[in-house]
Amino acid sequence: MAEDLVLDTAIRDWVLIPLSVVMVLIGVLRYFVSKLMRSSQSPDAKIVKEGQIIIRARNLRAGANFIPPKSFRARRVYFSNEENGLLYVPKGQAQNAQAQMFSDPNMAMDMMKKNLSMIIPQTLTFAWVNFFFSGFVAAKIPFPLTQRFRSMLQNGIDLSTVDVSYVSSRSWYFLNLFGLRGLFSLILGEENAMDDTQRMMQMSGFGFDPTKGLSAEKDGLDIVQHEWALPKFEQRAEAVLRKLVS
Amino acid sequence: MAGLDDSGASEKKSGEAINDLPTFNAENMQNNMKIIYYSRTFMSIIGGVIAGILGFTGLTGFILYFLVMAITSVGLTAKAGFSIHSYFDCWNRIMLDGFLGGLMSFVLFWTYPLFPDLFCLFKK
Repeated sequence: MAEDLVLDTAIRDWVLIPLSVVMVLIGVLRYFVSKLMRSSQSPDAKIVKEGQIIIRARNLRAGANFIPPKSFRARRVYFSNEENGLLYVPKGQAQNAQAQMFSDPNMAMDMMKKNLSMIIPQTLTFAWVNFFFSGFVAAKIPFPLTQRFRSMLQNGIDLSTVDVSYVSSRSWYFLNLFGLRGLFSLILGEENAMDDTQRMMQMSGFGFDPTKGLSAEKDGLDIVQHEWALPKFEQRAEAVLRKLVS
Repeated sequence: MAGLDDSGASEKKSGEAINDLPTFNAENMQNNMKIIYYSRTFMSIIGGVIAGILGFTGLTGFILYFLVMAITSVGLTAKAGFSIHSYFDCWNRIMLDGFLGGLMSFVLFWTYPLFPDLFCLFKK
């Protein structure tokens, strides 16, 4: 059953290594291109202001237990006061911001550019692999898999008795795709670690963030129960001072 | 471990138990998590190459992967001076985080040395 196929060194030289090298280079190229193409958007003052307010509210929520109850309550009222509280946004305005976000031409162009720079190299490389490198056994993966993976991994190979460990070059492409992500995150620094799934998640969550953000923060702030976490602080300070003095 | 540790940055103290209430500096905590991620990725790549050179196949290779991950955990714990709670908020972070993230890189680099005639010296 498990015939030991001897793979030609020519395969190794001309298929596997070039494919890996090309993928690494394309990744590096894409990183630099995305860096260059990042158009400097002049941030909208209103959006920045809202963002800062959200950050302040979040800090207040995080550090709520470290300030005395009265001052926490005073700050909370300042934020969520009905009339002139910072976080209180009348319903009409909230809708507006969201619509503005999507119809803003700059924003849409940016998102499209990011998407394209992700998808195009992958599509091109996949088409290249399919065109040139199909129909033969490319590599042997070191662990055995069940028969169900056969159709997935051995796409161009029409023999059904070949061991599932011998895969076609398409699966080698996918293996490279996933495996080089870790390598990219090491050599390219923190930012562009080829996180296409993360980008997509960011994209879907981006439009809603500023608009729902304010009311969400307000609700979060309302929920917080203040628990005074430093009740013994004065005793502690006294003990420290005593130690210093004596 | 200092030689193998890819990231040169040192782990920063992210938590102090003031008045029995742990507070965490979020930025330092993030930095520490990044360090864990880099270390695991690097070690999984190295582990993959080792598994390939030694010619492991099948289950043995995966056992080696888990062994390498365990060694990484131990190494990170040692670098944190065994006082986990001042650098991370719970044990699970340093032990289990990113465990399976390096699996794909491991498999990729595991396949490389198994190419024919790449390491013909070792075949003899």
